[in-house]
Amino acid sequence: MIDVDNVTKRYGPTLAVDAVSFHIGAGEIVGFLGPNGAGKSTLLKMISTWLEPDAGSIRIAGHDTRTAALAVRRSLGYLPEHNALYDGMRVDRFLAFVGAARGLSGAALRERMAWCIEGCRLEAVVHKRVHQCSKGYRQRIGVAASLIHDPPVIVLDEPTHGLDPLQVVAFRNFIQGLRKGRAILFSSHILSEVVGISERLLIIQHGRLLADARVADLQQQARERGEDIERVVLEIVRQKAPSREEVRA
Amino acid sequence: MSGATAAGSSDARVSLGAFVSGVRIVARRELGAYFDSAIAYVYTIGFVVLANSVFMQEFFLTGTADMTSYFQRMPLLLAIFLPAVTMRLWAEERKQRTIELLLTLPIVPLQAVCGKFVAALLLYALFLAGSLPIVVMLAVLGSPDLGLIAAGYVGLIALGSLLLALGLFLSALSADQIVAFVATAFCAFALVLLGNERVVAVLDGLAPKLAAGTLLAESISVGPPYETFVAGSVELSALVFFGAFTAVFLWLCAHALQHKRA
Repeated sequence: MIDVDNVTKRYGPTLAVDAVSFHIGAGEIVGFLGPNGAGKSTLLKMISTWLEPDAGSIRIAGHDTRTAALAVRRSLGYLPEHNALYDGMRVDRFLAFVGAARGLSGAALRERMAWCIEGCRLEAVVHKRVHQCSKGYRQRIGVAASLIHDPPVIVLDEPTHGLDPLQVVAFRNFIQGLRKGRAILFSSHILSEVVGISERLLIIQHGRLLADARVADLQQQARERGEDIERVVLEIVRQKAPSREEVRA
Repeated sequence: MSGATAAGSSDARVSLGAFVSGVRIVARRELGAYFDSAIAYVYTIGFVVLANSVFMQEFFLTGTADMTSYFQRMPLLLAIFLPAVTMRLWAEERKQRTIELLLTLPIVPLQAVCGKFVAALLLYALFLAGSLPIVVMLAVLGSPDLGLIAAGYVGLIALGSLLLALGLFLSALSADQIVAFVATAFCAFALVLLGNERVVAVLDGLAPKLAAGTLLAESISVGPPYETFVAGSVELSALVFFGAFTAVFLWLCAHALQHKRA
């Protein structure tokens, strides 16, 4: 459902994403791991149609982001990097606005709003204005807005940012409950979060995809070596990360 | 620097019904934002008090049941007030980063632009509605030419549309509201003053062979076409002038949003 084919993106002289390819099918939850500035958000922005690739192509639920951007956006639930929300709006009105913009109305909109409010545990703030909500609530409001239209493809940029440990566990369970029939891609720079939520890992650094591995395989390797999974991931990064000269080039 | 997105993509052409629906949804949110904050109340009260008090002062001096002086003074007032309405429309979206949320919804940029334009136009209509008590007062006290007054209001709506569209476009180019306000106010004053006889004379005097003042007054100044409305005549050429400039600025705004991304 998410097909990224040889995608490259430059910001002036800086190569932000370098010939990245991967495929994510229905029913998969994939974690996108990399340090700050690795190119995660740039790639997710291209998937969301906010940016256009310089080279390569991206297809979401069969629609090309260049030639069918509106169809892509209809199929996609997207939480942007900074989770910017309209601070002055009430939470319920904000969700209603996003739902309406995504083509929902009447009973269908009310039903989806109720589902999102319950799933993201927003009952306590639903009549408050967004700026009155805590960081954790803001993050959940952003996730709720991205799910309001029941999209088959979900892309979340740092969804656990600002959540406390208990909220992360609740989020993990919530996302895993959405797995059926959906492709879910989320980014993080915290390995334990990615391992806890997803079953597949994409590791990116300096814009290059270093590894596309199943979490279970990495855990198996770690067990065989008697090390923890962080060490295994670090080993992959050390082996495959481009040299400074390659990055400059 | 940034990549254009889906600007000319094949599915960017939406049906009229879907286009209007998207415009309505964005406009409703924008209007809500005006009234959720103090913006709508402060601007409306400020505008109505200022515009009406200036008119009333003149009314007591002349004692005629006529709104011509009101309509004549409005362009300079609009050149200050309307940039204050539009300055936040895109600059704030950029600053708060909500622009990414808005423009990754299944709407084309022109829908978002038109939605914000409609909301600003409705707020401006509220400004103008604050002058309706003057019309009622004149009708009670004398026999005003209602056709002349109606033409003046058509002129105000046409001029306001152009200035709002200009402000939207300049707001889309800036992440700073103050910059957007100053740029729009400067351009608005230029468009208004280029039609002033003294400004035309000065500019013509600078380069007599070129007659730049006359050329600018006849081509881009809002003064001459607006004056036709104030004189009581709703001319097609004036409507086309304001409509065309409004449409061009709205289109430029959508174009800027498609290409100015980071």
